[in-house]
Parts: sequence; C-alpha cells; structure tokens
Amino acid sequence: MTRRFDWQADIRAHASRTDVDLTDATVVEIAEHLEDIYTGAMRDGCTESEARARARTALEESTMDVLRRARVATPSGQAMAEAVAYTSGGTSLNLSGALRLAVRQLRMHPGFAAVTVLVLALGVGASTTVFTVVDSVLLRPLPYQDPERLVTLWDVNARRGLDHQTLSPVNFMDYRELEEFEGAAAWWRPSFNLVDPGLDPMRVNAIEVSGNLFDILGVRPQLGEGFPVGGPFFVFQDPMVVISDRLWRTRYGADRAIVGRILQFNGRPHAVSGVMPAGFHYPDDVDVWERLNWDLHFHSRAAHFMESVVRLEKGTTLQQASAAANTLAGRLAREFSQTNRGWSVMLVPLLDEQLGYYRPALFVLVGAVALVLVIGCLNVASLLLTRALSREREIAVRIAMGASLRQLVAQLLAESLVLSSAGAFLGVLMSYVALPALVSLAPARIPRLDQAHIDLRAMAVAIAIAAITTVIFGLVPALVLVRRKASADLRSGERGSTRGPRRAYSVIVAGQVALACALLVSSALLIRTVINMVSTPIGVDGDEVVTTSVQVLSNDGRGPVSPQTWRKIADSHELILQDVRQRAGVFAAGATSHLPVDLGWRLPFEVEGDDVPVRADDRRIAQYQMISDGYFETMHAPIAAGRSFSAFDTADAPPVAVVNETFATRYLAGRPALGRVVVSTVRYIGPSVFNLMAPGAPDQAPLPRGFEVVGVVKDIRNTPLGQPIEPTVYFSSQQFPVGELLYTIRASSPSSAIAALRAALAKTAPTVPIGIVRTWGDRMATRSAQPRLLMLLLIFFGAAAALLAALGVYGLFSWSVAQRTRELAIRLTLGARPVGVGAGVVRQSLVLVTIGLIAGLAIVRLSEAALTRVLFEMSPHDPGSLAAAGALLVVVALAACVPPALRALRVDPVEGLRTE
Amino acid sequence: MVMPLDTTIDAAKKGSADLLILALVEDEPLHGYEIAGRIERGSDGTLRFTLASLYATLYRLEERDLVRGRWIERAGQRRRRCYRITDKGRKALAAQRDDWRRFIAALTNIAGLRPA
Repeated sequence: MTRRFDWQADIRAHASRTDVDLTDATVVEIAEHLEDIYTGAMRDGCTESEARARARTALEESTMDVLRRARVATPSGQAMAEAVAYTSGGTSLNLSGALRLAVRQLRMHPGFAAVTVLVLALGVGASTTVFTVVDSVLLRPLPYQDPERLVTLWDVNARRGLDHQTLSPVNFMDYRELEEFEGAAAWWRPSFNLVDPGLDPMRVNAIEVSGNLFDILGVRPQLGEGFPVGGPFFVFQDPMVVISDRLWRTRYGADRAIVGRILQFNGRPHAVSGVMPAGFHYPDDVDVWERLNWDLHFHSRAAHFMESVVRLEKGTTLQQASAAANTLAGRLAREFSQTNRGWSVMLVPLLDEQLGYYRPALFVLVGAVALVLVIGCLNVASLLLTRALSREREIAVRIAMGASLRQLVAQLLAESLVLSSAGAFLGVLMSYVALPALVSLAPARIPRLDQAHIDLRAMAVAIAIAAITTVIFGLVPALVLVRRKASADLRSGERGSTRGPRRAYSVIVAGQVALACALLVSSALLIRTVINMVSTPIGVDGDEVVTTSVQVLSNDGRGPVSPQTWRKIADSHELILQDVRQRAGVFAAGATSHLPVDLGWRLPFEVEGDDVPVRADDRRIAQYQMISDGYFETMHAPIAAGRSFSAFDTADAPPVAVVNETFATRYLAGRPALGRVVVSTVRYIGPSVFNLMAPGAPDQAPLPRGFEVVGVVKDIRNTPLGQPIEPTVYFSSQQFPVGELLYTIRASSPSSAIAALRAALAKTAPTVPIGIVRTWGDRMATRSAQPRLLMLLLIFFGAAAALLAALGVYGLFSWSVAQRTRELAIRLTLGARPVGVGAGVVRQSLVLVTIGLIAGLAIVRLSEAALTRVLFEMSPHDPGSLAAAGALLVVVALAACVPPALRALRVDPVEGLRTE
Repeated sequence: MVMPLDTTIDAAKKGSADLLILALVEDEPLHGYEIAGRIERGSDGTLRFTLASLYATLYRLEERDLVRGRWIERAGQRRRRCYRITDKGRKALAAQRDDWRRFIAALTNIAGLRPA
C-alpha cells in the first residue's frame, strides 16, 4: 500500500512536542487510523487537501499525554505487556497471579529458563547426593550407645615408624585400669574353621574378645543372653560364642533353637549364647565373637597383636584420656624398658578409625561438590544478571506505568521462585537416581554406605541454597536497575553504560573458571595417583594366580601345641600342596604367610659375625615371612642369587633362609650374601607360628639359632603402596610352620586351580575349609579401589565444573557481543578488519581465563592439606597435573567463546548501526 | 480532550467510555477507526473521542484484560489492530450495563428525564 503522506513522522513530531515517547506499535496503529480518516474523507467527496486537513485536525486535537502509558505490542513484548497489565492492575499482591505470570514470562525465554533450571538441578542433585553419602558415612552417629565416648587404642613407635600398631595384651591390662576409661574391651583375630555335620566346613571371621565388648558398645543380642552383662572379662572354661545374624540365617536357617547349641570351632565345642542384631559385625566383618578364655596378663609386653575399644568416662575428653594414657605409657617404658622403650599410645575416635581413608576422601569430595554448587550458583547469578540487564526497558516501562516497588519485587520474586523450585524438583529427582547408582558403582566397601538414604535435611539445605541464590541474583540486579531508572524516563532508546555490569559479570565468570580449575587440578592429581598405584612395581607377576587361605589344625584344636603337632601341621600343608601340583591344569603351587603388599611380622634378628647391640632396643628389625617351596616360582618372583626353598628344606634339614635384596644391601653389604647366617631368637609368633628349629624346650627361652642364607630374591613389595620396601627374611614353612597359609596356585584357569585344591583337600584333609578365593589381580585391584572411586567422582565433578565454567564464558561473551554490536559496527565502518574484531573477543576471554586459572591455583594451594592425604607418591604441586588441568580449561573456555567471536566477525555494519 | 463540550457530557463521556467500547467490540472485532466512527455516528456526534483518548482507553482496557488487541493483516488491505472482547470483558460489560441501567433509572425518576 503506497501512502501519500508520512503519517508516522507527523505523529512522532506531534508527540515529541508534548514530550511523549510513543512505541512504534502505537505510532503504526495511529497512523493507520489517520489514513482511515483521510480515505473516509476522500470517499465523502472532500478534496485531497481537505481530507488531509481532517486527519491532521484529528491528530492536532489529541494531547498525547494520555498515551504516555505506552505499551509494546510486538510478539516478544506480549509477555511484558502482561507483566505491565499485572503490575499496573491494582495494588494488591496476588501471589498466584504473580506465579502464573512468572511461568508465562519464562516460557517466553525457554533457553534462559532451561539452562538456569538445569544448572540449579545439577547443583542441588550433586550436593544432595554427596551430602547424603557424607552424612550417612561420616556424620550420622554410630549405631552404638553414646558413640562419641568410644575410642580405639593403638600402640605407636615413632622411632620405628610404626604409627598404628596393635597392642600388647599385658600393656592393655595396664591401660584398662586408667580412671579416664569407663571400660575397655580387647580382642585378637584367631582363624576359625567351623565344622557342622552335613554342612560344608567353612572359614569364619572371628574374634576372641573380652566378655565386656557388648556392654561397652551398648548393643545386646537379638536372641539369647550373649555374654552375661557385667560378667567376667575372661573365663578359662565353658567356651562360648555369639554369632551374627548373617551366619544364623545363612547357615542355620534362622533357627531359634540355635541358642544353647554346641558348634565345633577349630575342633573345639563352643556353646552359642546369642545372635547379634542384623548388620552388627563389629569391629569390621565379624560373624563369630568367642569369649576370651585366657588371662591377658600372662603374655609378653613385646607381642603386639591385640585390638581394643574403650568407653571414656562421662565428661572425659579425648585429650584428657590421651594425656593420661601416655603418662602411663611413659611409666611403662621406664619400668619395662626392655619391651616398652620407645612405645607410646594413641587414642582414635571409633568413627575415625572405622573410616580410615574415607575421612579425608569424603572431605575432598565435600569440597568438590561445594565447588560445583558454588560454580552452579555463580552461573545462575550471571544468567540472572544478564536477564536483568536485558529487562532495563521493561522495568522502566513498568515504573512509568506506576507500578509500585512492592509489585515489582513480588513479580521478580515470583520468577526466582519458579526457577528455583523447578531446579530443586529436578535436582531431587536427579539425586534419587544418582544415589543408588553411586552405591552400586562404589568399587570398594565403604563403611556404612549401604545405609545411605536421601536425607531430607540435606535436600532442604541444597534447595535453600538454590533458592537464596536465585532470589538474591534475580532480585538485586533488577532492583539496582529500578533505582537507576526510577528517575530517568523511557524516552531514550540508548542503553545505559554496561561497563559496571560487565565488570561484575566478568568477575563472576573468572570466579567460575577459578573454581573449575581447582576441581580439575584435583581430578588430575587423583588420576595420576591411581595410575601411580596401578603401576607400582610389586615384584611379582601373577594377576591370574588364585589365592586363598587354608588353615590346617591338629585334631585336638587349640591349647598348648607340641612341637610334634607343629611338625604335623607343616607336613599337612606340604602334602596338600604336593597333591595340588599333580592335578590337571595346575602349573605351580605354593603358600605364604603374607601375600605381597601385606606387612610381615617385624621381629629382631642378628647377622652372625656382626656386633651384637648391648641394648635390646637397638636390635635390628626385619620382616619375617614363612613360605613354602614353589611360592616364588608360582608368583614369578625372580631369584637374584642362590636358590629358593625346595621340598627338602624340612625340619630335619639344616636351617636355611632366603632374604630380599633390600635386606642383602642393607645388612649383608660388603661380603657375598650367600652363606651368611641370620640368627633368630624367636620361638613363637603369637599362637599361630612356631620355630621348629629353635633349640631348647618349647616353654623356655630359645637359644639363638642361625639360618644360612641360601638365596636372595628380588624385592617383592612388603609394605602398603607408597611406603618403602622393608628388609625381609623368608623362612621355610616346613622349618618355621604357620597354621594358616595363603595358597597361591597358577593353573590353566582359576576354576581348575580351585577344583584342584578342593580335590586335594577332600583327599588329604576333608574337614579343612578354604577361605575366600580371589585371584591376585583382584586383590591388587581392591587396593586401589578407594582412590579409584574418589577419582571417578572427581572426574565427574570436574567435568561438570568445566562445563559450567564454559557455559559462563559463553554466556558472558555472547552477551557482551550482543551489547556491543553497535560499537563493533562502528569500528567495522571505520575500517577495522573483521578478524581483528573476532580476535579481540578471544583475547578478552584469554585474559579472563588466565586470571581464573591463577586464582584456581591459589585455591588448590589452600586445600593442599586435605589433598596430600589422598594422594599417592606425588605432591599437590605436580606440574603435569597442573598443566593438564590448565590446558583443558583454556581449550574449553576458548571453544566456548568461538561462537560469540564468530558472531562478532559477522556483524553487518549497516544492520549493526540500526540496532538500538 | 480539548473539545469544547458541556461539562456534564464531558464527565459522562469519561465514565461511559469503557462501557461504549466494550459494547461495540462485544459481537465482532473492530479496529480503532471503526470504533471511533460507530461512536460518533451512533451518538450523532455528541460523543467523540480524540485519537489519543480513544487509544489510551483501548490500551487501558487491554491492560486490564477486558479486551484483546491483535494485528490482523489481510491481502489487499492495510494491517489493522483489531480489538475483541475477552471473557473478563464480558463480565465487566454486564456489570457496567447494570450500573448504568440503575443510574439512568434513577435520573429518569428523580430528574424527570425521559429516554429519547
């Protein structure tokens, strides 16, 4: 339609005379009206000039003041019009109306709404899940009476680097008398074979424990009396056991007549006096509690093999109790310097003891999830900030229309509420999915993780954080605009300066980058840790070797065992092993008292020809390990010099020993190792090991006996990963027999190894059960399971953080380019090259990311203490990890600013200048 | 509103503007020019809105959700913004009609007026 007159110009000119700024839509609408008047007049027969005058008059007689309540009728302005309608529709605060309107508003901006809700959901979901785990594992009280008064007791010998050693029973009896202790229970871990007629023999996890254990923990059996309340600490006669709910159900079909029944443990009858409640397996995975049947006073102060739990007196602090116990330890060290010098004692709260590695790990995790939550909140903050900035005009219009501050606040609040409730709802949904997945994915048995249920408090905290973030960041920037705009009117199409908001936005994004950097560095460190653990040389090559424990007992069970019986035990092991080796599919078989990575017994020794130290404390210590012939061969442990044990190294042959390389270089340096003699005065190691070669009667102190070194084996790791390998003497298990040996069988397949062992046992020792069967590779995998789990979680959080940070960078630069379209257009018009304009965007993002990275590294430095405790053979300053994390973040951030940079490149100078 | 009108009519016009417009768009959507024309013709020129007051009233009604305006474009015609009554508008109209009926009845009885 062609027009003869530019009505729009007339209208604008007329409006500007009365200082009114009309919206385009209103101008268009009135222009059409004037055109209608004009054409109507022409139809009525007016001349062109008369018709025009008529339209002009209609315009002139209008005072445009009444149209100051302008409104936008473009589609995107529809939602705003509704908002305007609401806020100017009265003074009441209609909540449901506000909420409805908020939903409609957000529907007009689906991208903004979706991203905000997703980010909030991620924050709420992740933090609820992790907090639930931390709460159920770390914070929730143990299921015992007054658990905060329960502590465990450990011996410490700083000089020997023993920081967590089991107790001597005799020392324990002294500690027990401390008045700071309300009571103390102690136990050790014998190996129990359970034999019932008609059932397979089985190995059970058992402790022989003082009669007061259940009193101290404050837990009673679900069935039967258990050990009598307030009963004796130990009883020589009447062997008695309490069994677990698990054993009762799986082996005895939950038969209530179990109480009073006699069970055969290690061939000795024990009366069942109770069944503990389901889930009770204190101290770790125990199924049988045998009442202590010997006096702990009658043992050696040098033998460390007891564990203990103590209930502190009411009102006694851990520090007071520690001080008292160490004063006592100091006195014992003076009085019994032969055995106690250098030893002190350490009290560890029961919960800390049970958590071990997981305590620092969980704190790292909480830190990680807190970072993700903060990044998420910052992200939402920046989203809301840009949204507020883009609403400048809308807010100005509302104020111009007379909206009260109260109404504006109510409306903004409603929008924040809608966003945060949607985010919270989705987040809670996420954690209901994530928690069971996490529990089932956990590669290691984390104490109490199986009891984790979504915690309403955790959820409430997360939702509150999300809500507060959205409200603060949704409301505050908008209100700042309100104040700024309250005085100005909406005449100007120019936007105000964006420098202030842009700076705030940049700080927020740099903060996100910093936190993401901290998380990524932690993930990288954990990845390296796991790699270090997995690649630590162990000294054996036996991933497919099957391992299991076999305990051989003489028929008369426990009690003083004669040397003849020990000989029989040694012979039985040898017989079983020989039988296994002959079975089909078996390549090699052997046995050891300790598998690699486990600590052997640390005991004193001498080397013949060296000076013997005057003081007993100065005697040198090495690990004692007993192995059968064929063990090194089965595990593919190379012999560096000499030979390994043979079937002929029996109790009737000359005493021989094999040492590891560390031992040879440390104690046998200077002269050839082979032919040297290692002297031992050890006769017993607890009740489980006996030195058949020690001369003299079994109940007297042994005379020194030399073992000739016949071989040197290349180091096999004999300490936990991360600790230096210790000198070790290997003795022949025929000369120095052990009741329970760990069998190692290399065969064509694990199943044929097990079949061979079962067949051999059925033939030579039908009542002997086999323990848990696992390949050596499996056992090693569980060693790194804890850091692996932590690594997986941190990778997840690191990825989430990087993604959020990238989103932040993208948001910032998209917004910034959009805001600066006009400026960029001017620069392009003035001859700037498009590439230069795009590079400017990239350069700015690089500066921002660099600042973020530096701040992130500072955060890593602050959290060093926690990190160091979960790392393995590396420092938190590992340059490789820092570089990898930094590089990843730079790449991601640059990728995120590519689309905005491209958009800047494509700015059309003409179009750009036309934009407001 | 600078038309030199009698003050009584002026005041009545202000109060009746909503009623008039709602009544006009009750049956069919109309654009501003049509509305203005029908009012002028229907009142023999007694009632007349200026452009500004007409649109101000329309916008106010729209803000209150009593009418809804939509741009309508038809081939061969200029685009027009047409206004249609909403459900809320119908209710408001009914209420206003009641009020006015009572008001006119009162005037008739007391001031001795007779509807023309």
